[in-house]
Amino acid sequence: MEKERKGQLKIFFSYAESIGKTAAMLKAAQGQQAQGLNVAVGCIGARASEDVVLLLREFDRIGQADRDGLDLDQALKKRPDLILIDELACSNRQGSRHRKRYQDIDELLKSGIDVYTTVNVGNIESLHDTVADITGVRTWERIPDFVFDQADQVELIDMEPGELIERLKGSEEEDSLFTMEQLTALREIALRRCADRVKRLARRQQKRGFHTDEHILVCLSSAPSNAKIIRTAARMARAFNSQFTALFVETPDFKAAAAQDRERLRANENLAEQLGAHIETVYGEDVPYQIAEFARLFGITKIVLGRSVAARKYFLGKMPLTEQLISYVPEMDIHIIPDQSTDKGYRPQKAKSRRGLNVVENTAKSGCILTGATALSLGFYRLGFTEANIIMVYILGVLLTSIVTSHQIYSLVSSIASVFIFNFLFTHPRFSLVAYETGYPVTFVVLFLTAYITGTLAIRYKEQAGQSAKIAYRTKILFDTNQLLSKAGSRAEIIQAAAKQIRKLLDRKLVIFENVDGQLSRPCFFGERSAAEPSFHMEKELETAKWVMKNNHMAGAGTDTLSDACYTYLALRVSDRVYGVVGIEAANGPLDAAEHGILLSILGECALALENEKNVREKEAAAVLAESEQLRANLLRTISHDLRTPLTTILGNASSLISNGDSFDRETKRRIYSDIYDDSMWLINLVENLLYATRIEGGRMSLHTSTELLSDIIEEAIKHMGRQAASRRIKVIHEDDMLLVRADAKLIVQVIANMVDNGVKYTEDGMTVTVTARKKGSMAEILVADNGNGIPDREKKHVFEKFYCGSSKIADNRRSLGLGLFLCKAIVEAHGGTIAVGDHEPKGAVFSFTLPLEEVTLYE
Amino acid sequence: MNKVQILVVEDDAPVRSLITTTLKAHDYRFATAVNGNGAIMEAASRNPDIILLDLGLPDMDGVEVIERIRNWSNVPIIVISARSEDSDKIDALDAGADDYLTKPFSVDELLARLRVTRRRMALMQNSGQEAVFVNGQLRIDFASGCAYLGEEEMHLTPMEYKLLCLLARNTGKVLTHKFITRSVWGSSWKNDVGSLRVFMATLRKKLEKGEGSPQYIQTHIGIGYRMVRVE
Repeated sequence: MEKERKGQLKIFFSYAESIGKTAAMLKAAQGQQAQGLNVAVGCIGARASEDVVLLLREFDRIGQADRDGLDLDQALKKRPDLILIDELACSNRQGSRHRKRYQDIDELLKSGIDVYTTVNVGNIESLHDTVADITGVRTWERIPDFVFDQADQVELIDMEPGELIERLKGSEEEDSLFTMEQLTALREIALRRCADRVKRLARRQQKRGFHTDEHILVCLSSAPSNAKIIRTAARMARAFNSQFTALFVETPDFKAAAAQDRERLRANENLAEQLGAHIETVYGEDVPYQIAEFARLFGITKIVLGRSVAARKYFLGKMPLTEQLISYVPEMDIHIIPDQSTDKGYRPQKAKSRRGLNVVENTAKSGCILTGATALSLGFYRLGFTEANIIMVYILGVLLTSIVTSHQIYSLVSSIASVFIFNFLFTHPRFSLVAYETGYPVTFVVLFLTAYITGTLAIRYKEQAGQSAKIAYRTKILFDTNQLLSKAGSRAEIIQAAAKQIRKLLDRKLVIFENVDGQLSRPCFFGERSAAEPSFHMEKELETAKWVMKNNHMAGAGTDTLSDACYTYLALRVSDRVYGVVGIEAANGPLDAAEHGILLSILGECALALENEKNVREKEAAAVLAESEQLRANLLRTISHDLRTPLTTILGNASSLISNGDSFDRETKRRIYSDIYDDSMWLINLVENLLYATRIEGGRMSLHTSTELLSDIIEEAIKHMGRQAASRRIKVIHEDDMLLVRADAKLIVQVIANMVDNGVKYTEDGMTVTVTARKKGSMAEILVADNGNGIPDREKKHVFEKFYCGSSKIADNRRSLGLGLFLCKAIVEAHGGTIAVGDHEPKGAVFSFTLPLEEVTLYE
Repeated sequence: MNKVQILVVEDDAPVRSLITTTLKAHDYRFATAVNGNGAIMEAASRNPDIILLDLGLPDMDGVEVIERIRNWSNVPIIVISARSEDSDKIDALDAGADDYLTKPFSVDELLARLRVTRRRMALMQNSGQEAVFVNGQLRIDFASGCAYLGEEEMHLTPMEYKLLCLLARNTGKVLTHKFITRSVWGSSWKNDVGSLRVFMATLRKKLEKGEGSPQYIQTHIGIGYRMVRVE
């Protein structure tokens, strides 16, 4: 990927509208334009004052976007040096790529374009509550603090509040004006925020790890007031310069939470993340205990809670959450944020639809059990058993009800019904709800309480079992993922393994793209694609996936970027290296926090595995390269030495023929001609071998095989022999002359030629070289035998080594290159055969090799 | 007196001089061209009897030269290739070349190829559609569909007979595997080559009996087969 210069962001910051941020920005841009930079206006807010309109004339505009937003694609295409974009905190129109303007700006910066922009103090996320308290105006147009903090420059545009009031007097904006006090307060906040930013910058430059020992934990919930608590905690985290974690404790109840609660929880999570928090999720029923455990494990120093959380859940005589938490972790600071405002009567709502479905079924179940218990009791009564037995039967009934039904209400109703039925059927007077004996009311109360408490306990146990099964399942998936990925060798296997695990975890369709040299690979779908996906447009999805790969940031359905895609896309990455993009179907709503967390760890593991695989591959490639480089270097060294000898002979002979050829007698001339011829042949043979040696890559040879008749190959090889071979008798024996082999004919010809040539070279005139071809099991065996001096045993194992030359003298006294037999071995092994050397009886050596036989079906 | 004119297309001067010296010594007339365009010009203007064509020309691919010449002329073309890769030769043969020589080649080899081609030309001129083909001991009676070796009738399978006829009709020309399988089976896929080898081997066994028998069919490893004229 290309590493470009990142664009610089400059923010013009003020405490209220109409102070002249936009004008200041344009003036600054004017200066830049005068220095020769290419400046363009991205968009300017609707309420432009006269001087702004005047200044605007000097700049190019991008698209026709002046009022209603920035044309991002046009801007990226035009690539000016500097873009001016008013109102950083603005939201984009529906259907734009990003939901927020700051995301557009981020993309511009990433592509190396500088940006000037403006923002008001009230638009900064962490200051929003404070500002809203002062002004009474809430705004939805907010930017996360990191945008402000990470800007390269912030210029504060300041003005005395009095002057501002004076300036706006008589203008149409007079009505919206704040009072002197309000403005002063706002100004103070703005100044302090700027000072804070400067301080943080300075501190960051001083030391790298700028976190102090503090670690702040905020508890997430689905309450609307939670956002305020998160913001407060974020402000604290900034003030203490501490680490910041947001924790959500998922209780068994959460399963049944209503959709808007889930939605709100997600919004709160996003907010916390924007404010720089790490999001964590734990499971458990005992919320304070889980928080305390987490806090202890992760070394939290301060816990921030909302009061609504404290009051909400434990209303029945139990200690409030805060009290419990304090008793668990007495050593920790616990900050409770008052929450008197918006959501007094807030209770998390249960999802209605799911309960509705189960009502009939659960009622039927409880009814059946109750009837059964009654029938059994009637039987007992007939048999004359005591009341204690009957009571036990009813308790058992309620216990069973609580096990088979999904809600506590059924065991409660069952308990009450049991009491009444018991009263009606089994107490004197029978068949009335009156009881004479004084002890009965106690019996009824005890029966009811026993039944109810048993039932409640059973339900709780069931829920806990379910919860721990869920945790165990997720842990197992993570563990399995790890195992599978470490086993997977190739990229495809890694992708397959990850996809399988994600499918197991989420049971959703997914699509995976690999990053192949900066391009998306063909999409790889997992899970059946049903035809009933009318909104699925491949181009849209591809575009989203491409964006994710380029920007290394999640996008698609359920996010702020390109949210009209059908899938949510996440990058498979190791820090800034993207190895692929994973798309997850979002038709069943976004993922919950826990699923998201596990998904991220699976993706992280997968990306790591891909990176490892890539590293291994690169290392192997490097090793192979080094080896073939080594081979080439050796070859060149040996060749340049060995080529000299025949070339010297040829050159010398030719030059003597040119200068005094006439004076030589016939016999001398003949000898010289024949020397030149022999040396040339030797060179040709050498060149052939070299040519084949170049086809060895990393010890392996590339083959172009076809079905060949072995006898044809042998015949061709003998034909290749030089004149030297004529003085020896070469005998060919075909034990089976219809042997078909699968081979690269040229290479096998070279093998036989090399072997025969060896036989010829190492033997005296008049000797015989025998070539035999025969069948041996499923292989064809070729033997080349000579009756020369043979090869000593200690040299046998070396003859196939590179550049090995035996100790024995070659017939024509010429040093061999030691390449021939090495090449033979490489060729034969590439064909899947074996090569060997042995002794020939009574004397001489036998070289043999095998080739796989080929079966042929004849087509008449 | 040798009246055959040969066009030598070769960009390398020493090799060109080696070839022309040889041709001169053996009483051939010749013209030369040093590149593809020149070769086409010379071929069109002089109408040579045989073309010796180097495949590695500076201006265009040798195969393209063959294709262009084949548009209007059936002049025999012998390609000379320095490349050891068989695919180049096969491409050239499939494009319409008649024979090939691989560098380095000996002068004898060159002369032998020229002789083969000349004989083939002579045969082509006075053959037309002969009813009987004779080559050494081999006699094929196309009309009756029988082949004889000496006086004896050969017992050939239909496939062997088909192959024999194909080779006989193209005596002297190297036929590529692709060409043969296409002509005989109508297709050319991998399995056919295996079959072809087997049929060729059995055919040759029937045709070239015993040690002293002349060789009628040459195997060109990795390229194809050729029937040679036997004296």
